[in-house]
Amino acid sequence: MSQFIIRRVLYSVVTLLILSATIFLIVRLTGDPVALMAEASARPEDLERIRHQWGLDRSWPVQYVTFMQNAFTGELGKSFNYRLPVSELYFQRLPNSLTLGLAATLISLLIGIPAGIISAVKVNSGWDTVAKGVALLGLSIPGFWLGLVLILVFSVWLRWLPTSGSGDWRHVVMPALALGWYFAASMLRLTRSSMLEVLGSEYIKLARLKGLPDFVVIAMHAFKNALIPVFTLAGVNMVVMVNAAVIIEVIFAWPGIGRLLYEGIFQRDFPLVQGVVVMAGFMIVVINLLVDILYAIIDPRIRLTR
Amino acid sequence: MQRPRFEAYSAFNLIAVALILIAATSTAIPFAAPAGAAAKGKLVLAWHAGFASRWLDPQEHDGTATPDNFFTAIHDALIKNQGTELYDHPALAEHFSVAPDAKSATFTLRRGTRFHNGDPVTPQDVKFSYENYRGAKADVFKKKTERVDIVDDRTIRFVFKEPFLDFAILFGTANVAGPAWVVPEKYYKQVGPDAFKQKPIGAGPYKLVRHEPGVRVELEAFDGYYRPVNAKQLVMIAVPEAATRVAMLERGEADIVYNVPGELITKVGKLPGVTLAPVLSGSFFIEFAGFQDPKNPFHDKRVREAVSLAVDRRAMNQAETAGMGKPTGNWINNDVQYAIEWPEFPRNVDRAKQLLREAGYPNGFDVDWVTPLPTFYSRGERLIAQLREVGIRGRLQTMERGIYFQRLQAGLKEFPGTQIILHGVRIAGSWSFWYEGHFKCGGFNSRDRICVKDLDGKFDQYERSTNPAERKKLAEEIQRGILENYYLVPVFRHAFVNAIGPRVVLQKWQDVFPTITTGYAYPWEDIKVKDQ
Repeated sequence: MSQFIIRRVLYSVVTLLILSATIFLIVRLTGDPVALMAEASARPEDLERIRHQWGLDRSWPVQYVTFMQNAFTGELGKSFNYRLPVSELYFQRLPNSLTLGLAATLISLLIGIPAGIISAVKVNSGWDTVAKGVALLGLSIPGFWLGLVLILVFSVWLRWLPTSGSGDWRHVVMPALALGWYFAASMLRLTRSSMLEVLGSEYIKLARLKGLPDFVVIAMHAFKNALIPVFTLAGVNMVVMVNAAVIIEVIFAWPGIGRLLYEGIFQRDFPLVQGVVVMAGFMIVVINLLVDILYAIIDPRIRLTR
Repeated sequence: MQRPRFEAYSAFNLIAVALILIAATSTAIPFAAPAGAAAKGKLVLAWHAGFASRWLDPQEHDGTATPDNFFTAIHDALIKNQGTELYDHPALAEHFSVAPDAKSATFTLRRGTRFHNGDPVTPQDVKFSYENYRGAKADVFKKKTERVDIVDDRTIRFVFKEPFLDFAILFGTANVAGPAWVVPEKYYKQVGPDAFKQKPIGAGPYKLVRHEPGVRVELEAFDGYYRPVNAKQLVMIAVPEAATRVAMLERGEADIVYNVPGELITKVGKLPGVTLAPVLSGSFFIEFAGFQDPKNPFHDKRVREAVSLAVDRRAMNQAETAGMGKPTGNWINNDVQYAIEWPEFPRNVDRAKQLLREAGYPNGFDVDWVTPLPTFYSRGERLIAQLREVGIRGRLQTMERGIYFQRLQAGLKEFPGTQIILHGVRIAGSWSFWYEGHFKCGGFNSRDRICVKDLDGKFDQYERSTNPAERKKLAEEIQRGILENYYLVPVFRHAFVNAIGPRVVLQKWQDVFPTITTGYAYPWEDIKVKDQ
């Protein structure tokens, strides 16, 4: 088991190294950030001064080594735009993103799981058709459009909710709904297919033959097993929602990490983009590592076959 | 015992005099009392972009107009642009003078001005701010300044190595450079530049209460400001999505929103109590990259004129800014020193075709690329459609903004063949900044794409001259030379459309957006909000 864990940790470190090198290169391929840090009429002397100030006049390998040395000590560099350490900015925004991510996850689970179960249990019925329609709409309606419609209806017409920003629970409702809606659709589809698979299995048939009521079969036997892949997906979805809810955070002026990333990309704020992507990657890698270890604990065949 | 009558009478008189004095004093208080004391209400501004922390520190002014929003709230300058005054509005300086030989400039500080932490604004702070300044054009000031002398506790003198005729205009135009903005030396040194950007202290009308980097800045009227401050609270919120900003205005969550895009202008104009503020902003003009090459079709003046005749400026203005911009005759804004007025160029498709025939292009010709300033791509598409009517066939080239400027600064090699660039520029201060940046051979944006030696020669003469009359004459000659030869073809002045909500007190939108060299809503202290 310990060998398995060591191997998985090493894989994770390699993954993070590849990710950091990739994002380091990609942001630099977008061009020179100094062009956006100075005025349009800046002279070469001004540009050179700024380039030197931020160490951008050094070679890329030197810049990468510096970035990695700092990253290993928990420093992700200083944002060009905000003049603050990226880690400080990230953790300033993290509570907002966690709030939004949790609320959106909850919404996606509350919509996706019941609808997926009903759809699977009443397969090929009117309920199923409605659920499939909901899933289709969820996956095809763009988040920005849904967000704007929500603002128009609930803020401008009904005046129930504030348009944007963060504050009390009322600020969370619309962005969480707009964000959770898309993920609810994927939850619904996965729950439905997972439930259908479980409902067709031998032990469920046996349970039915034993005369157990439908509710007990579904709630006590099928539901639990069908939810394993659903919750695995929910975990990854949440990491994505916390770190990359770019469009929704921009529409609702939500001060989260997604918006930080958006501004970083827009301003070619290299340290900020690198930092946010590496942090998101770190979260995903850690979650996957934990899931792998848990699977290995639950099912010894996994650690023996890998 | 009865009081002596005279005493009672005197007491009555005394009380009456006292009451009159109190009444007189109370009417005088609004003018004499600390500025923030009478301030009331909350003004909320919804911004069209995220905030950069460097915008809170004038020492690192990036030379654009955007940071002025923060500078004019938190900080103050010796002199600045305000209203119709282009650069010489006395702010922290009560008055100033430039020596007749332009080799020194002397400023006298206003009495009793203080920073938000209570420290007085001193000549030493001014000296530090100037000498420590490292933003746009810093090297120009450093190169030309011999020393800064503190004459007495209110007077400071900048002594130059040579006549520095543009000193006042460079120094006082906020959206060009920032050494005139005074920061408290002691505090700045104590916390350092980065911490200063998070918690700046200035001598402006508003002091910082809360700063969420990139998201929100909350300010409160500063009691010690020397001018009346009307709104008690000023809140700036970054709201990148235009439709959300408009919804905030509609719902009363914002009082001023910046940048209403074309598709929302009509809707916003119809909202009850909302006033549109279409501020004339940058100038859009056409450049023929590398036209000096005899093989380039645009080398022929008739071809350049044909382009001008093909452009439907009014249609462009109508479609792009709901008619709120202004078709113009000069590519340089008329709100800068020595800019000349020029009549709007006509549109005449037949004449354009005739000129092309005369120039040897009876069937027109192909342009490799038409590149508009990002993100005004639709303007490029309209230009292509209008040019096609006279037989000039072009393709649209879109670029990300940073790439665009990078390629401009790389020069002609980035624009090979036959190319048209549709620029949009706004530079305050002097016409010469426009020429230097966008026309001069080797200029920071024009590079080697434009080289007209005789005009550059005159510009050098202008730069050397210390005679204002001669400089003005040369400036006008050069501008006429550009326009008469169609070296650049002016299209129109863009309208930066903003909207003002019903809580803001105004007679006309210019009450809120009075400063002609900028598209923004300062001076903040002048804006009043209704009681809430």
